[in-house]
Amino acid sequence: MEIQGYTLPDELYYEENHYWVKEEGDLLVMGMDDFAQKMAGEIVFVQLPEEGKELTAGKKFAKIESGKWLGKVFAPVNGELAAVNEELETNPGLINSDCYGKGWIYKIKPSDKGEVANLIHGKEAVEKWVLAEIEKYAKE
Amino acid sequence: MEAKYDFEKKYREQILQCSRCGFCQSVCPVYGATLRPALNARGKMLLLKEVMDGKIELGKELIDSLFQCTTCASCANNCPSGVNVPEIIKQVRKDMVNIGSCHPAFAGMNEVLQKATNIYAEDELPDFDRKRDQKAAYVYFIGCVGAYREDEATEGALDLLDRLSVDYTLISEVCCSGVLEDVGYSLNPKLASQNLERIFATGAKTVITGCPYCYRTFTQRQEYDELRKRGITVLHISQFLKDLDFGVTTDKKVTYHDPCDLGRHCGIYEEPRATIRKIAPDFVEMQHHHADSLCCGAGGGVRGAYAKNSLAMARRRLKEAEDTGAEILLTECNSCVHNLANAKLRKQNIKIYNTTAFINELMHRKAKDK
Amino acid sequence: MDEKLKNGLIGIVGAENYSEDLIDMVSYSYDASQHSARPLCVVWPQDAEQVSRLMVFANETHVPVIPRGAGTGLSGMAVPIKGGIVLDLSHMNKILMISIEDRLAIVEPGVVYANLEKGLAAYGFFFPPDPASGKVSTLGGNVATNAGGVKGAKYGTTRDYVLALQVVLPDGRVMRTGSRAMKSVSGYDLTRLFVGSEGTLGVVTEITLKINPRPTATSTASATFGNLEDAGRAVSQIMYSGIIPSVLEILGKETILAINKNTDLNLPEVEAMLLAETDGYTKGETEYQMAKVTEVFARNNALEIKQAKSDEEAINLWKARKSAYAVLARIKTHFVLEDVTVPMGKVADLLKGIEAISRKHDIQIATFGHAGDGNLHPQILYDGYNPEDVKKMEAASADLFALAISLHGTLTGEHGIGLSKAPFMTLEHDPAAMNVMRSLKRMFDPNNILNPGKMALDDAEASFSEAGIKS
Repeated sequence: MEIQGYTLPDELYYEENHYWVKEEGDLLVMGMDDFAQKMAGEIVFVQLPEEGKELTAGKKFAKIESGKWLGKVFAPVNGELAAVNEELETNPGLINSDCYGKGWIYKIKPSDKGEVANLIHGKEAVEKWVLAEIEKYAKE
Repeated sequence: MEAKYDFEKKYREQILQCSRCGFCQSVCPVYGATLRPALNARGKMLLLKEVMDGKIELGKELIDSLFQCTTCASCANNCPSGVNVPEIIKQVRKDMVNIGSCHPAFAGMNEVLQKATNIYAEDELPDFDRKRDQKAAYVYFIGCVGAYREDEATEGALDLLDRLSVDYTLISEVCCSGVLEDVGYSLNPKLASQNLERIFATGAKTVITGCPYCYRTFTQRQEYDELRKRGITVLHISQFLKDLDFGVTTDKKVTYHDPCDLGRHCGIYEEPRATIRKIAPDFVEMQHHHADSLCCGAGGGVRGAYAKNSLAMARRRLKEAEDTGAEILLTECNSCVHNLANAKLRKQNIKIYNTTAFINELMHRKAKDK
Repeated sequence: MDEKLKNGLIGIVGAENYSEDLIDMVSYSYDASQHSARPLCVVWPQDAEQVSRLMVFANETHVPVIPRGAGTGLSGMAVPIKGGIVLDLSHMNKILMISIEDRLAIVEPGVVYANLEKGLAAYGFFFPPDPASGKVSTLGGNVATNAGGVKGAKYGTTRDYVLALQVVLPDGRVMRTGSRAMKSVSGYDLTRLFVGSEGTLGVVTEITLKINPRPTATSTASATFGNLEDAGRAVSQIMYSGIIPSVLEILGKETILAINKNTDLNLPEVEAMLLAETDGYTKGETEYQMAKVTEVFARNNALEIKQAKSDEEAINLWKARKSAYAVLARIKTHFVLEDVTVPMGKVADLLKGIEAISRKHDIQIATFGHAGDGNLHPQILYDGYNPEDVKKMEAASADLFALAISLHGTLTGEHGIGLSKAPFMTLEHDPAAMNVMRSLKRMFDPNNILNPGKMALDDAEASFSEAGIKS
């Protein structure tokens, strides 16, 4: 859906720090959503840890940086890092230009796929959340 | 013709001295990464000459050249015609700010430092699980990059100081704000006096800093003269460590990157090496070292304003490190570590550390093994 | 900027390899000479195919194309005097092959000379010409100007080492000249035609160079003289020593003073100084040669003769010599660096003549240069903002060229004609030669789009005034 100029596809699951998650076979694909990408500005660096790294839901496992901002990436579910998008090493701007497609960042092997239910999902929930976020950042 | 701008009043002769020989092209990190003559020292002097001759205007169109310089001073070091390009550039940037033609990233930085305590506008100063503003013999001044972008490196430095039983304290530090002088603005005296106040309150006789830029600012800027007046010594951590013993060594091959702010700008080349040789007997130099060291690309505000090119410059330096066969690349600057680490590709096996963090790592492993 | 032209160029090289930004246009208006002129835009081609397509396009649209390497030329060869498209070859910077067996290296034109030297040093080989600008200049530029350097007397110039070329002709055809064989007399020597053609007959896109094993031992010495004439005579008589030194350079007093201001060398402040190097494979060999050379110095009233005691001392001496012209640039706001060259026996006369011209026009002329092959570098220093001074400079230059020609010499030993010496071409070349050169140019480039306005090849008379800047 489109909310005040931000694109947030309905079928995706959203982690509250503005990362999207979708199922791809046995794995989950993860990236940054349009709201965050626009707020951050041009992404210049995204940390791509080793495959096999253990992920704990809610815990930071990587850093991401734009010209003016350093962000933490939190694991949306428990599991293991299965793959990373190596294109981002030399072209981190893909996160800005195509955050839901070529700008995907991580692939996760979840311990329990069902955990995605803990994420924000569905038109109503997403809309409520994004509107609240827009208000929050407008105040700052 | 009456000189319109300060840069012309101060540096007209030097700018005219530029013989267009282009020797600066062989050492400029920005040119090396982009192959764009407009971005190297000669290109910049040609722009200024045309401004002085009234052929072009000093304005927004010149930003991408005049604000894209790491002020590494390799050009000045190699210029046979005696043109001190970085000094001229810093003055031009001030002129450009005056006429409202500044790079938005730097205008932003100045604004941020009017209200915030650091260049990243972060709200909370991380305390690294240590108390601040205590009474102690030494103050350890972290610097913005170390505090907010390279926390691991800072942890390592502080852990090392603890292992060496140094009587130090952190302070509620704010940005030294020296960087503003390089990007067209002025050092923020409010921030400077806050730092001075907090340093004096600790009763410390020595300030140690891990940041070569802060070191330069504290030792060279008049806003921090009070330190000298009160007999307080300022040391870069490499100077502090050089006479100490750590009781650890590594047999890995190690090389060292001279940060521009420590090396070319302050003449500190040997102290870091003295320390490294104690812990790493298998030490090799890169192709460009000491005064010829190749800039990592982060300085002069370039990492913030021109990140892609900044990282491209860092990659060139990493290639030199790899060419030595070294497994470990050491340096003494958080900004260099940050840029080099970000630029490193996953398939490159070289590890990058500040020397202090590396020594701490070795001591940590030794203690674990016992 | 014409949209069709712009889109056509972007269609060939991509938007990221095209620019018309002001900062780039200013840079590309200049080289290391005093001339300047604005181009329309710049393109950075990635390979010969793109260069070829660019030439076809430029020919169709009748837009000038100016090939460029590092832009360190001293005569204005790379200055876009008729506007047009600057073709910056610096992205084509790969060393394609080094074959020690075949004694050759194949490079793209954007390879920096110093990087080739670094690559060859790993094998104990070198590419002899060694131009003073070698840290920055590119092989394409070296070929376009037949670059010389400090090793000219013993090792010759770039031309002596170019075995073969790949060239893109002004109409876009790609052509190969020469052979990988060390010698060939098959058909006309097209390679030689392009070397030194200053980018007016074709764009060089690949260069096959002969390389030499590097002598492992050198001896370096300096000799001071009480006057330029003695030094000149010493140079003129060097052939009687039976030895060809690998380097023989002269420094005049002004040059020495300027170098001392810029370095810690503390050279003796005398009227003239000769720097010599002999090379070989053993110290015994090089010192034997040097003794013969210094004998000639002694016979010509050398005040003091010193041998460099360490490699570092020698390196510093050569570094100082190579930065001489840029160091002298500190003295006045403007300078013109000439490179008139005369037969060895006439070097003393040339030195005397330069002093006389300096006095006659009351203008400062510092002298240094490759005494070893008769190639002096008189550098005229003047205030370019003072029209009187400019007139004096022009008059002195004209006298210098006339003097060199009168001594059976040439206008330029290595810097090329470009714009600076175009007005004097007819002093040196007879009408038949000028006609042949212009005819060749017209045959290669009937639309006169490749680096037009240079070398007096255009029919119109060239004038000596400063080029205006076209926006």
